[in-house]
Amino acid sequence: MKLKKESIGYVVAFTFVVCMAFVALLAVANQLTVERVKANQSFASHFAALKAFGLADASTARNEVESLYAAQVRELAAPSPGVSAYSAKIGENGFVAVKLTNPGLWGPITAIVAADPKAERLRGLEILEQQETPGLGGRIGEAWFSAQFAGEKVGADGRIDVAQGSGKGDPDKENSKVDAVTGASRTSDFVESLVAKALDEIRRIGGAL
Amino acid sequence: MSLAAKKVIRDGLWTNNPIFVQVLGICSTLAVTNNLYNTMVMVLGVTFATAMGSWTLSLLKDLIPRKVRMIVQVLVLSFYVIIIDILLRAYQPAISKQLGPYVGLIITNCILMGRAEAFAAANKPGLSFLDGIMNGLGYGWVLLCIAAVREFLGFGSLFGIKVTGASFTPWTIMVMAPSAFFLVALALWGANTYKAKAEAKSKAGAGAGKPGAANPGAAAAAKR
Repeated sequence: MKLKKESIGYVVAFTFVVCMAFVALLAVANQLTVERVKANQSFASHFAALKAFGLADASTARNEVESLYAAQVRELAAPSPGVSAYSAKIGENGFVAVKLTNPGLWGPITAIVAADPKAERLRGLEILEQQETPGLGGRIGEAWFSAQFAGEKVGADGRIDVAQGSGKGDPDKENSKVDAVTGASRTSDFVESLVAKALDEIRRIGGAL
Repeated sequence: MSLAAKKVIRDGLWTNNPIFVQVLGICSTLAVTNNLYNTMVMVLGVTFATAMGSWTLSLLKDLIPRKVRMIVQVLVLSFYVIIIDILLRAYQPAISKQLGPYVGLIITNCILMGRAEAFAAANKPGLSFLDGIMNGLGYGWVLLCIAAVREFLGFGSLFGIKVTGASFTPWTIMVMAPSAFFLVALALWGANTYKAKAEAKSKAGAGAGKPGAANPGAAAAAKR
């Protein structure tokens, strides 16, 4: 029997078979890599927590991350759904960090924020996941942006302003203000509210410690 | 190398360059060209997806009914884009994180569909694969040139390595999308003027002595 390529039966069967075949291949590829992806995510989260606590930086060797994390960071009970909490003792001082997800311009932003238990001074901030505009808001993932938060004094209102500045980073650690990303004021507002929310959580956890 | 293959290579890189002549893939040009590293990965992704997509579609072309041709093209191309995403997430998490939404953006690149429809639908798999590679590279070299200018002026660096002194003031506009618009326009203008001049010259050479032989080329350039 000769197949009629334009017949409705052939078109439906062909489309069905092709879709099934490619989707099956994708499912297999996804299944084969799912464990690796999970391991990568947990590694990224541990690394970000260490960086937020100031215990690691970009130069830290990859194989040291897990041992450092196990030795220095303690995972606390989740203070509220969707929020993870950590503590670490550095020298004489204890610090608290929270990992939380807050809305961004295009999608959720996930970050780890660390501070002293009273949330008077930030220890550090690491953006874990974001879907902001590439080249604009997406630049919140760059090192110069997050580095501004390390050691920044929290304002009397319990917040840190993310406001327009030189766009190169604000070196003043006492003014409770960091530079926003030029051309991305909306994203910068979302980061500001994420940090404020994180500081509230830290204050709550720190008070109960 | 066969004549057809040579033509495919020349077309992809220059005479039918996706950016200069087909004016495809402009959307991604705006988004990724503010630093060289992201541009490089985007170019590799587009080249891989175009080449593999064109090859697969060329293999299937005698089986695909005309009515669902485009649906199948989108399916196959997005398959390769998702494969790139999965592989990067599993084996290159750092790159995957840095690129974020860029990888998904590969599918919005008109070069993929353009080549599938214009070339792979009527040519042999091997040649379609080569056509995909060459179009990817033709798109790539133009993008890398633009990215080099934007990163140099916008950040004072190349591939993230600082190349200017501390006194250099970055041109913020170069980091933002508008600068890509005018750089692409300048590149289009330059390339097409050069091409029109070269055409006029070869015509003048062929019709030696004929007065005004250079004019048709110039008229064509003006029309463009």
